[in-house]
Amino acid sequence: MSDGFSVNIMQQQHLLEQRELSRDELIALQNKRTGVTVFQISWIMAFVCLIVVNLQLRGDFASWPPPGVEALEKVLPTLATVGLLVSMALTRSGLKSIQREQLSVFKSQWGVAIGLGAAFLAVMAFEWVTLPFSGQYSTVFRVMIAYHAIHTIVIGYIMIRVYRNAANYDAVHNWAVEAAAKLWYFVTIAWVLFYVVIYLI
Amino acid sequence: MATITRPLPGGARVDEHRPRLSEYLRWSVDHKIIGVQYMVTTFMFFIIGGSLAMLFRTELLTPQLDLVQNGQQYNQLFTMHGTIMIFLWVIPFFAGLANYLVPLMLGAKDMAFPWLNAFAFWIIPVAGVFMISGWLAGQAEAGWTSYPPLSTLFSGDGQTMWAISLHLLGISSILGAINFIVTIKNMRPEGMGYFQMPLFVWAILATSIIVVMSTPFLAGALTLMILDRVAGTAFFNPAEGGDVLLWQNVFWFYSHPAVYIMVMPGFGIISEVLSVHSRKPIFGYRAIALSSMAIALVGFTVWAHHMFTALTPELRIPFMITSMIIAVPTGIKIFSWLGTLWGGKLHLRTAMLFGLGFLSMFVIGGINGVMVAAVPFDIMVHDTYFVVSHLHFVLFGGSVFTIYAGIYHWFPKITGRMLDERLGKIHFWITYPAFFFTFFPMNILGMLGMPRRVAVYAPEFQTLNVIVSISAFALGISTFILIYNVFHSLAYGKRAGANPWRALTLEWATTSPPPAHNFIGDPVPFKNPYGYGTEAAFAYVKAIEDHFGAPDEPPLTRELTPKPASSGD
Amino acid sequence: MNQGNVNSNGRSMGMVWIIVAGLAIILGGLLLSTLTPDLFPAQGSMQAQQTDELFRFMLAIGGAIFLLVNGVLLFSVIRFRARKGDISDGPPIQGNTTLEFVWTVIPAIIVAVLTIYSYQVWTTNTAPQPNEKIVNVVGQRFAWSFNYDITADTLPEGVTLDDLSDDVRAQLADGQVISFSSPQLHTWVNQPIHAMLQTEDVNHAFWIPNMRIKQDLLAGRVTDIRFMPIETGVSRIECAELCGPGHGDMAGKVVTVDGEPVLQGAWLVVHADEQEYLREFFDPEAKRVLFPPADPVDLGRQILTSGKYPCSTCHTNTELGWSGNIGPNLNGVGSRAGNRIAGMTAADYIHDSVRNPTHFIVPGFSPLMPQFNDDPSQSNYMPESDLQAIIAFMLTQTQ
Ligand code: HEA
Ligand code: HEA
Ligand code: CUA
Ligand SMILES: [Cu+2]
Repeated sequence: MSDGFSVNIMQQQHLLEQRELSRDELIALQNKRTGVTVFQISWIMAFVCLIVVNLQLRGDFASWPPPGVEALEKVLPTLATVGLLVSMALTRSGLKSIQREQLSVFKSQWGVAIGLGAAFLAVMAFEWVTLPFSGQYSTVFRVMIAYHAIHTIVIGYIMIRVYRNAANYDAVHNWAVEAAAKLWYFVTIAWVLFYVVIYLI
Repeated sequence: MATITRPLPGGARVDEHRPRLSEYLRWSVDHKIIGVQYMVTTFMFFIIGGSLAMLFRTELLTPQLDLVQNGQQYNQLFTMHGTIMIFLWVIPFFAGLANYLVPLMLGAKDMAFPWLNAFAFWIIPVAGVFMISGWLAGQAEAGWTSYPPLSTLFSGDGQTMWAISLHLLGISSILGAINFIVTIKNMRPEGMGYFQMPLFVWAILATSIIVVMSTPFLAGALTLMILDRVAGTAFFNPAEGGDVLLWQNVFWFYSHPAVYIMVMPGFGIISEVLSVHSRKPIFGYRAIALSSMAIALVGFTVWAHHMFTALTPELRIPFMITSMIIAVPTGIKIFSWLGTLWGGKLHLRTAMLFGLGFLSMFVIGGINGVMVAAVPFDIMVHDTYFVVSHLHFVLFGGSVFTIYAGIYHWFPKITGRMLDERLGKIHFWITYPAFFFTFFPMNILGMLGMPRRVAVYAPEFQTLNVIVSISAFALGISTFILIYNVFHSLAYGKRAGANPWRALTLEWATTSPPPAHNFIGDPVPFKNPYGYGTEAAFAYVKAIEDHFGAPDEPPLTRELTPKPASSGD
Repeated sequence: MNQGNVNSNGRSMGMVWIIVAGLAIILGGLLLSTLTPDLFPAQGSMQAQQTDELFRFMLAIGGAIFLLVNGVLLFSVIRFRARKGDISDGPPIQGNTTLEFVWTVIPAIIVAVLTIYSYQVWTTNTAPQPNEKIVNVVGQRFAWSFNYDITADTLPEGVTLDDLSDDVRAQLADGQVISFSSPQLHTWVNQPIHAMLQTEDVNHAFWIPNMRIKQDLLAGRVTDIRFMPIETGVSRIECAELCGPGHGDMAGKVVTVDGEPVLQGAWLVVHADEQEYLREFFDPEAKRVLFPPADPVDLGRQILTSGKYPCSTCHTNTELGWSGNIGPNLNGVGSRAGNRIAGMTAADYIHDSVRNPTHFIVPGFSPLMPQFNDDPSQSNYMPESDLQAIIAFMLTQTQ
């Protein structure tokens, strides 16, 4: 899907909404959009905060992982990350599908997306449980993963609710889908930040 | 200049209608009800926080322990005093006032998310009561800044409750701020660009941006503290590889911006009050609006000036530089307000008196702030009463004075009644000197060498402490005059009418109090919210009066043609 | 409309007034700064002189700004106050670019000057000096102690290696140091000090008001601060960081004497005319450590009075001259301790109260006492020999 095309879709969507919705409804929709954006910008700072915590703590050690501690295993989490990115892309296409009123396409796309999300959670839960305690190194890891997982679970649950409700959305009335999708982007982006800090640097 | 903006497209007049008391006691999604709920609730917390101050000021009358039995009880008192005053009084009070005013000033029916708005409010009493009930579990005793390891390894369970409660208050504050940003961005009326917004709205916008960007850091820090206390992690325990400076960095990364959260809305109030009561356009509108943004921005880069005595020495200088820089945008505001007064027609009503009181006292706090920003000087006075003086000059002389100004200014709008001016002036003339003599001697105490957060002190400091305490009691008592005035005026106050101050911003273009959805019809804003001194403005105000009827006050001997503006020198 | 005429006249008059007012304000600031009496405690260090000058400078500037703002304010209130019944508006002036530029640039210049000046003071105050003496400062709830080292070269007057017991002599000959702690800090005029700060528990802040220095003690780190005393005398040391219930009681003393140390490197070797002072401080302390009394009661008393452990802040004991009230009164513990817990002798109970202080709490007190461990690698190390001596002393405290 080229970028030009998706911009086009966005414009079409706005035109459509302007045609179909009353002024109050339009304002309400716009408010929700802005609201979600502001929330995303705000709450990403909580993740940035944990990143800062991670960075400052490792500054107190001679090396990271601390001497004598084994580094985290990277393969599985990397796969999970890729899965989550795919899931995000599918979520996005799913939103487009709803806007084109292609319900069954939406269903299959979100089905996979949710499945990938669940797989991601399972992998990270496995990592969480199997990592041996190694002082600050494992604690920071556990707290960051758990913190992210709470968001994944809550927002994943919202995705599932929306998915179950799919029959009620059409080209104009699909705010719930859009919101769930945007929150899922948030989960993904927050994870990518964490991934970089936990596994790459 | 023939084009005359009229506030309302005509239409039916509505009768003034005050919501019933019971509406304030239950869940409501009307931003006006919520606004009042916020303000009344937080005022009660103010009295609680103030009473704690009265207790420890009594303790500090003598150099030994007498009122409290040990240092622990004393520490609990000021910890709760600081926390309550900041998180349950100043920050949420401003949120409440903004809740009431922002939709009105924008000519909107309500906030963008009414339900969320109510939810954000109801968190506050719950969290507040929870925090205060920490006394049953061993109240938090590590100061409002709660540095570990004191707060993690050496404090009672109240500390955990403190952290949970602050977490909730932070969330409330974020939800409120999101609501404001969305409302301000999307719900401005036709013809009101960003640079036609009242400066109070600008101030709330800047504040909300700070809130959404910084409060998550508080949430992060508190999460770690709670984990350290209950889940056995060791983020702040150096014995297990933790770092005590970690808390200080993250906490101040929130809490320094938070001090601007606590004063910026006050700046907004001052811009309204000074302009209206000196009948003159605000001087340098854009500069005031944009300096708020500058303060918000620079405010994120100064946090470590609270840690000058803990920070690695090489890092101290950069934070001194940024802290100094922030004086410049603040100065722009102060001078612009002075420019607003210059040549105006000053009506020294109580709201104005508190506004002027703010101007004269906040400078002292600000200058003290710049002094403590100078590293070598701060090395001496850090954690002494000098800092206590600074923080009260900016928080009481800044935030609380502006809150008082705001109360006197908007009480007529909120209740439909004027506050009694005579009582108001008595309130001011007790508060102002009592404030000064409570907090100014603290400067001297700090320089003489009295540390803060102590219940016992060297005997040579007693005289000054007695002066402070006695003035503090006077300050406490002066608050009752306001409370009495509020009840008295609710019952017997003069009717305010729609626009008693003859102001141009939209909240005055409706009845007092406004009807359920604020306006009948879509109001049309005057193109310059501070365009006093022009015929168009006069006509606009007159149109409001024609529409809603003139207030009882000021006297009816008014001249109905605008005088040519007299030049000011 | 003869406004123009008035205006041009007014403008030149206005200029004059602005200059006069500006000068008055600057003069006012200077006056404020010079007339303000010395608020700081007496200057005890080079750092103090620097800091105080900086303060005077800031006070002059701050005073001028205060006078400017409040002057304009008062003037406006008097001059522009609306008369009764006057409901007309002021002139519709929206702003003035020149003016706004001026009041942005001037404060910017002022803060730049302040920053540069402060930076200079800062570098002067913190620059490492030749011949610095290192002091080890230890803070713990709620007392200060200062650790001094005894080496074979710094034996007290009249003491030679031969006088010492075999194991002490072996230690010293081995190049090891024997250290003792003192509740006082000792400094010399014009002798730069480099203090290394460590805490046993929570954060504290090491503050000597007379020296205008302050530095936090951070749990898990060693921090440091430099100063150079310039006056003889005794000054207070205070704790400036909230550290718990006894924070306000956490005070100490610094004694400064005149004269320069003659030997390099040896912290405690001072000029001949300081011998008397030394005898008062170092020699007795060193002798006590080098020749411990044989009687455990005496040894216990010595340990307790040496300031090695912070007990005196919280407990009361008449014989030792303690008057703390954060923990239980120790007058008469000897007779009480045996009755507290069934099956525990007084000695066992006291032993347990030190090694595991939260185990039994005397009613009416909070579990605030630090735990003293037998393990040298942990904080609050107290060797068993010390504890036995302390118990022996405590058992004599009967009533
Ligand atoms: C409303 C709250 C508020 C506000 C607005 C400020 C404003 C400022 N504060 Fe303050 N501050 C606090 C609340 C606030 N502070 C609190 C609560 C603490 C203590 C926390 C604790 O430890 O418990 C604190 C502590 C504190 C410290 C740490 C002190 C210490 O613990 O040792 C420092 C250090 O730099 C500081 C600096 C400043 C500066 C530079 C400003 C500046 O923004 C001030 C700018 C204003 C002016 C300068 C006046 C107007 C300007 C002019 C008239 C222009 C001309 C002026 C010049 C050229 C100088 N503050
Ligand atoms: C907005 C914030 C705010 C406000 C309004 C105040 C208001 C007051 N503060 Fe507070 N204060 C802080 C914020 C605030 N403070 C903070 C953040 C700290 C730091 C805490 C810490 O170190 O952790 C602090 C610390 C602090 C200290 C230092 C304690 C210490 O370090 O040991 C002192 C000491 O005098 C003090 C005094 C007062 C007084 C006398 C008032 C007065 O203005 C209060 C007036 C009271 C009322 C208006 C209430 C109504 C009146 C009554 C109920 C009276 C009833 C009784 C009698 C008259 C007898 N405050
Ligand atoms: Cu040690 Cu306060
Ligand atoms: Cu700050």
